[in-house]
Amino acid sequence: MREGTRYKIERFFKDSLIHLFLIIVAVTCIFPLLWMVGSSLKTQQAVFSDMSIIPKHPVWTNFYDAWTKGGFGVYFLNSIFYTVTVVSGIVIVSSLAAFAFSRLKFPGKNVLFYMFLGAMMIPLPGSFVPLYVLMTKLHLVNTRIGYILCMINVGLSFSIYLLKTFFDKMPPALEDAARIDGCSKLGIWWNVALPLARPAIAVIVIFNSLNVWNEYILATLIFSSKSLMPLQRGLMIFQGTHITQYPLLMAGMTITVLPIILVYLLMQKHIIKGITAGAIVG
Amino acid sequence: MNCLQKKICLFFIVSSFIVFLSVCFISCSPQNKPSQAEGIKIWHWMSDRDEALQELARKYETQTGVKVTFELYAPSDAYTQKIRAAAQTNTLPDIFGILGEKRDFASFIKAGHIYNLTDDMIRDNYAWENKLFAKALAVNEFKEGNNFNVEPGIYGVPMDVTNIQMLYNKDLLRSAGLDPDNPPRTWDEFLAANRLLKEKGIQGLVSGWGEIWMIDCFASNYAFNIMGEDKVLDTIRGNVPYTDPDWIRVFDLFRQMRDEGVLASGVVTMVNKTAEQLFANNRAAFAFNGSWCVNVYHGMDPDLDYGAMLPPRVSDNHPMVIWGGAGSSFMVNKSSANVEKAVAFLKWLTDDDQQAFLARKTNNLPSNKNSLKDIPAILAQFANDMDNTTHPNVWGVAEFPIVIETFNKGIQSIIIKEKTPESLAEEVQAMKKRELMKMK
Repeated sequence: MREGTRYKIERFFKDSLIHLFLIIVAVTCIFPLLWMVGSSLKTQQAVFSDMSIIPKHPVWTNFYDAWTKGGFGVYFLNSIFYTVTVVSGIVIVSSLAAFAFSRLKFPGKNVLFYMFLGAMMIPLPGSFVPLYVLMTKLHLVNTRIGYILCMINVGLSFSIYLLKTFFDKMPPALEDAARIDGCSKLGIWWNVALPLARPAIAVIVIFNSLNVWNEYILATLIFSSKSLMPLQRGLMIFQGTHITQYPLLMAGMTITVLPIILVYLLMQKHIIKGITAGAIVG
Repeated sequence: MNCLQKKICLFFIVSSFIVFLSVCFISCSPQNKPSQAEGIKIWHWMSDRDEALQELARKYETQTGVKVTFELYAPSDAYTQKIRAAAQTNTLPDIFGILGEKRDFASFIKAGHIYNLTDDMIRDNYAWENKLFAKALAVNEFKEGNNFNVEPGIYGVPMDVTNIQMLYNKDLLRSAGLDPDNPPRTWDEFLAANRLLKEKGIQGLVSGWGEIWMIDCFASNYAFNIMGEDKVLDTIRGNVPYTDPDWIRVFDLFRQMRDEGVLASGVVTMVNKTAEQLFANNRAAFAFNGSWCVNVYHGMDPDLDYGAMLPPRVSDNHPMVIWGGAGSSFMVNKSSANVEKAVAFLKWLTDDDQQAFLARKTNNLPSNKNSLKDIPAILAQFANDMDNTTHPNVWGVAEFPIVIETFNKGIQSIIIKEKTPESLAEEVQAMKKRELMKMK
């Protein structure tokens, strides 16, 4: 009886400590988000003087002002367009490339794959000038296609790496069975490899959606027309060299994070599946 | 779904994607090349001034029929990348700005990207040049025999000017029994005022000294006041050691402020944004900040009652010289098809009315001397001291970066009682000696 009580007390303290730690981590993660939403409802003056998360007199018009002053309407549509196109492009190209690297035999396969891995190591700002020079020579500066191709290129390396490791674990027996059923190489990729890689694709979709949705620097470089700019352009106009219009910036940021939270919620189930499915693929 | 149907489905998806991309490709043609027909194209980074600049562009078009397009690329990092990339591909707009050090500016000139404005400035008996603050033009000027081997001339047009001064909170001075219309003018008066403020539990001086260039600026002001410009520049040339008693006197000012409790707590690691917030929230009586603060404080507390003054002088032998000069400048693309139009627009933009309009709308100091009468009182206080400004970029000699770093970090160490003025002087001099030896 005494042992049992001691065990229960020990467990209670252990659980409490773990929960306390998790609560602290959760609060530190969620605090910036709460501060963002709270500040989006304050006046500029209140942001610097009222430290409470929930303002006494919420200014709802900040959302309207952010939307209109930031010109979010066009930018929002542009961002949706770029995100859908780029992510679709990345998924199609990277899954085909990863399948080829994993399942096909061709000369220079490893060299090519390591070149892709090497590309992962180059940070985007480091390649700005050569990229701009290339885009200019191809007459793709200030065009949607120029930006889309660049962004697909940015996301390919990581996605190919992720999918290749996934396809490598796929049992050859499955491929053989599909071949016996009359599937071509493309058929195996479509009917066998892709459905199995669904969790990995979900991860790729989320990572790349986030990346494209939040991208701004490359867009600044490639576009000169305001009408082609993505959503982040709307946020940047609230940030001056010395002054930042925090309420409008935070309202704008609240608007911009909503779609990406939605994507995460939709894909969340697949990500969790992906974590467990990795061990039992095939 | 059988294999054939899936193949058809896949073919459809891939084809749609290709068609989609092709449509994008065809429908979006490049629009980057500036041409005479399009008018003047300007790339800028000043998001807080965009609205005012657009308004002026519309006004100019109405007056002259020349279309002016301001394109905003912010933040400044992104803008700098864009300018560099455009320079590499010869696609710079008619007018642009260069952010960064003078050596970046020089490299653009040497690469043939920037038009020399000297002839336009001196035309009609220096009409344009005389309208602008000389200190603002100096930042855009390369003199004969400059270190960068740039052909002498004026290569940029200042849009506004800035300087860095001391601010005082009138309400807090009043509550400590001090006269808000007579802020301390000398160092001793400043220390005495701080004693009174301390008795009332009010913090003294706040500044973003976590951004160490601001410490450099403060120390430089007092170095000029204590020993004069010639001796400061002689130190940089290596002719006067940092162990000179005058330099120790400069370092000792920070020890005095520390011992007297003048500095706000945490000032050593404080970023300027936090310092601005403390001053605007009436939590410090004095601040050391640039003229851009007028806009910042207005946003934080429109009712803040404060004034600007030169830092209280230590010595009467030399004037108090503060850092200042051009805030933002525009340059004309030498290979533009619209050079004449671009110069004419910049001349118009720096004219009295336009400058007064910009100052009123954006709370920045105008670069035109004749526009001061129409600007807010606090801005005028800053502007009145433009003649007392200097900037490392116009000294003609530059200190080694590692010496500057040792100097600034050493002052931080004095404030946190890790070093004495004497030990810092020894350390900075040792570093200077090492760098000079390397040069030999």
